Amino acid sequence: MPIFGKQDVQTAATRAPLMSGFDTDVWELKNAEILHLAFEVVEAPAEWLVPPAFHPSIPPYAALSVARFPASPVGPFMLAQVRLVVRAGIRPRGYLLGAYTDSEKAASELRARWGFTVGVGTLTLQSRHDRVIGTVARGGQTILNMELENPEQVSGSDVTYLDSLHLARVVENGKETSLIVQIDPEYVFHSAQRGKPHLISLQSDAWGADGKLQCTNPMHATFCRCDTDLPKLRFAMDPLVPVTQGSRRLAA
Amino acid sequence: MKFGIFYELSVPRPWDQEAERKVYMNALEQVRLADELGFDQVWAVEHHFLEEYSHCSAPELFLTACAMQTKNIHVGHGIVICVPEFNHPIRIAERAAVLDILSGGRLEFGTGRSATWTELGGFRANPDETKKSWDEFVHCIPKMWMQERFSYEGRYFSMPSRAVLPKPYQKPHPPMWVAVTSPGTELDAGDRGIGSLGVTFTSFAEQEAKVKEYRRRIQNCNPVGGFVNNQVNTVNFLYCHEESETGTKIGMRMIQYFNYLAAQLDMAKEAVPTKSYPSAGLLPSLRRQASSPGEQAKAPEGIAVGNPAHLINELRKWEACGVDRVNFLLNAAENIPQEQVLNSLRLFAKEVMPAFADSRARAAAGGSR
Repeated sequence: MPIFGKQDVQTAATRAPLMSGFDTDVWELKNAEILHLAFEVVEAPAEWLVPPAFHPSIPPYAALSVARFPASPVGPFMLAQVRLVVRAGIRPRGYLLGAYTDSEKAASELRARWGFTVGVGTLTLQSRHDRVIGTVARGGQTILNMELENPEQVSGSDVTYLDSLHLARVVENGKETSLIVQIDPEYVFHSAQRGKPHLISLQSDAWGADGKLQCTNPMHATFCRCDTDLPKLRFAMDPLVPVTQGSRRLAA
Repeated sequence: MKFGIFYELSVPRPWDQEAERKVYMNALEQVRLADELGFDQVWAVEHHFLEEYSHCSAPELFLTACAMQTKNIHVGHGIVICVPEFNHPIRIAERAAVLDILSGGRLEFGTGRSATWTELGGFRANPDETKKSWDEFVHCIPKMWMQERFSYEGRYFSMPSRAVLPKPYQKPHPPMWVAVTSPGTELDAGDRGIGSLGVTFTSFAEQEAKVKEYRRRIQNCNPVGGFVNNQVNTVNFLYCHEESETGTKIGMRMIQYFNYLAAQLDMAKEAVPTKSYPSAGLLPSLRRQASSPGEQAKAPEGIAVGNPAHLINELRKWEACGVDRVNFLLNAAENIPQEQVLNSLRLFAKEVMPAFADSRARAAAGGSR
């Protein structure tokens, strides 16, 4: 049987958001811009970032993204995410370690509706002729600085975005419990580029990784313009039980 | 219709000192029995770094052991990775020729390019380039075998005039194949006059369409080698038991475990945005049908698990699709005890093979050339 994650979920849940429930409206996010980089990570420490419900992928890798959403129900906002790719049974998923947005209003909605562990920071996303640059700063200190170098056009069908898993807290039957919700957006691509991934800096402690996320072998970088969404929640999982036994459907 | 066996050599954790040896020794015992029972080919993959799923990184060594312990069964590279970071083409030609000599001309030479980032990234190979390097290798290797001396200036390797030695025992060279994972690779096989070695599971309708197009293309092929190999192999699972329910239950448990292990790997398509890998690879359609290793499920269409009557029925459908040979995976991570695997092989040979005796005789008379 493949290795299971070793995360101390109880400790991790102390920084997870309290969701208002599972019934949320869909947010349509038109004309989004998403810079996405992937790097393999050192295996042994990364196993401590994966809940026991999941397997680290072989090899494990991190998915880093900075996105701009020019229109949403709370106005324009940016969102950066650091996720660790895992296997939920047989499904590849990105397990959210931490996120930042530039909008207080968006942050509170993202926490309550979709269980984002998200803070507020200063985000930038710049597309130049020879590179696309994404940065995140918190309290004046840069905590993520990454680039896609030498962009070239590809088809949107060549790009794979994985669905996300968010550790969150929720009150059910009068009792607060920790669980994982799945976020599975749709994408309609207007354009897509790929290039060489270049990670200039990543302060993993600022993303809830406590020094356990060490990026190594670069895999890919993409920059896409697309319509996407934050969907209704469909699945929730027990973080401590193998996902094949601990999943439940939330909505049709 | 002919039948072969196919090895990934899956090794479950924990990996104690005996774990890998046990898998290899069990496989060799199965190969010896398969040879006695009339299976006509044994194939072994080349995979690297695929934890638990496949510990078969040096198939030429395993296949040499198979050849030394058997009399008739052909030994198949299923496949050699034709990517320069993995294998130099001269070394591929040399090793394959030695295996053909040692086996007395029983080598089937399968080629391919890897479908996982786990492997491609491990060797720092560029996924964009693998199809092109495969094409260059399959054009050059038969010339290394057929020409006394060979020289070449190419994109992925170059060499001055040298005699690549030894030459294969089979003349002009062993039958060549390509692993068909991505859509369209069967057309590449047809255009080059080489056999289609199916390593993913498809529906009957899809397989029939693929075979039809392959047969059409190969009639006007420009062969890379000294002859055309126009055969179509496909892969399947095998668990044969007198009782339908038991056969299905044990067989499906193996299949689901196998697919669960495959799903843990990073597929090239997931890891890299490239047109070079349009599909997920490694039995993706089967993986869709298996959700957990413990789940009990009905056998999907065309899968050879169950009782002999059911297997005959399903294999007849593959035959009707135009498939020449079905290669079976017999176990996954030792999920089925060895004695049961051997009994499954024996029962298949006794009850199922005779139903295909006529077509086997026809296929043997036609050969692969």
